[in-house]
Amino acid sequence: MTETRSSDAPEVVTINKFDGAAAKNAIDDAIREVFTGDLKCKESFALIDGRLVLCALAVGVALYALLWDYLYPFPQSRLVLIICVSSYFILMGILTLYTTFKEKGIFVVAKEKHGNGMRIWEASSYVKKHDDKYNLVLVMRDSNTGKTREASVIKSFANFIDVNGVIVQSIVTSEVTKLYNSLLNEKKEK
Amino acid sequence: MWDYLFDDVKRMNKRQFIYQVLSFGMIVSSALMIWKGLMVVTGSESPIVVVLSGSMEPAFHRGDLLFLTNYPEEPVRVGEIVVFKVEGRDIPIVHRVLKLHEKNNGTVKFLTKGDNNSVDDRGLYAQGQLWLTKKDVVGRARGFLPYVGMVTIYMNEYPKFKFAVLACLAVYVLVHRE
Repeated sequence: MTETRSSDAPEVVTINKFDGAAAKNAIDDAIREVFTGDLKCKESFALIDGRLVLCALAVGVALYALLWDYLYPFPQSRLVLIICVSSYFILMGILTLYTTFKEKGIFVVAKEKHGNGMRIWEASSYVKKHDDKYNLVLVMRDSNTGKTREASVIKSFANFIDVNGVIVQSIVTSEVTKLYNSLLNEKKEK
Repeated sequence: MWDYLFDDVKRMNKRQFIYQVLSFGMIVSSALMIWKGLMVVTGSESPIVVVLSGSMEPAFHRGDLLFLTNYPEEPVRVGEIVVFKVEGRDIPIVHRVLKLHEKNNGTVKFLTKGDNNSVDDRGLYAQGQLWLTKKDVVGRARGFLPYVGMVTIYMNEYPKFKFAVLACLAVYVLVHRE
């Protein structure tokens, strides 16, 4: 549970490189650090906070139902239980929609000031099951022009992780910076 | 392997850690809400029970899983299998209705007996209780699934094993990211 910043002494992250989920999470974390560190962006937590609120509401509803049923045993608590159970499953549905259509695997939203406007960067990633290909999608939204640009890269985990399972931060940084610059330049050309 | 076990947790930031705890909470609450939902639908305070004794053989054996309903408008009839609670006993009993008296206003009192028992249940009831009434009923058997309940029986016979399994699952869910 340590908050890591690339300005601190670089922490060596060793993972089980054959565990796809762990490798993906570690690279996600490394990319987040690139945005908050080298690229001097400010991370926006609105997206993940939204999900946390939904989860907390669902768990709260379940706890309330449990407490109410304990205080007023079943036949009395029927109405409250009906309300709690249906709202719980509705909340679960909303949560599923939220993660599939709003979050879409976005693991960092970073805001960058430029001039008098804002650039918003959204990085999302996905890895197919039993696959070593890490798909990174970077989306840039410019609040001045209102335009959206997208760039993506597909690389094997092997490009980012060394033989001991340590994430090579410098390679991640250069890869992200390359994408970042390509999006910025693309904008200037037009 | 142990080196990796807590690494995921150590590397999480505040929000990821909260999400991890909440998603564990949601697994537990989903199970809870399905159970409560079944309670509402069937009208029974315990819609699924496991047969613990052989007193209803050959109808039900030890380890059978029973599905119960308890709709207030359905009358209890002789020959039906009811699950009832007796004061002073924690575990409900599954037995067949043997005799029943019904008044004009709909109130009933009835006597039960296990198919495999040689005497009726008066000896099992609370001291001085001769009949069961509607309020004692947990539900009526509507369907059963053989043997599945044996898992529950073994779990209850070896509580240490049960807690070990539950603890392992909990640790796995809490520690493993996504």
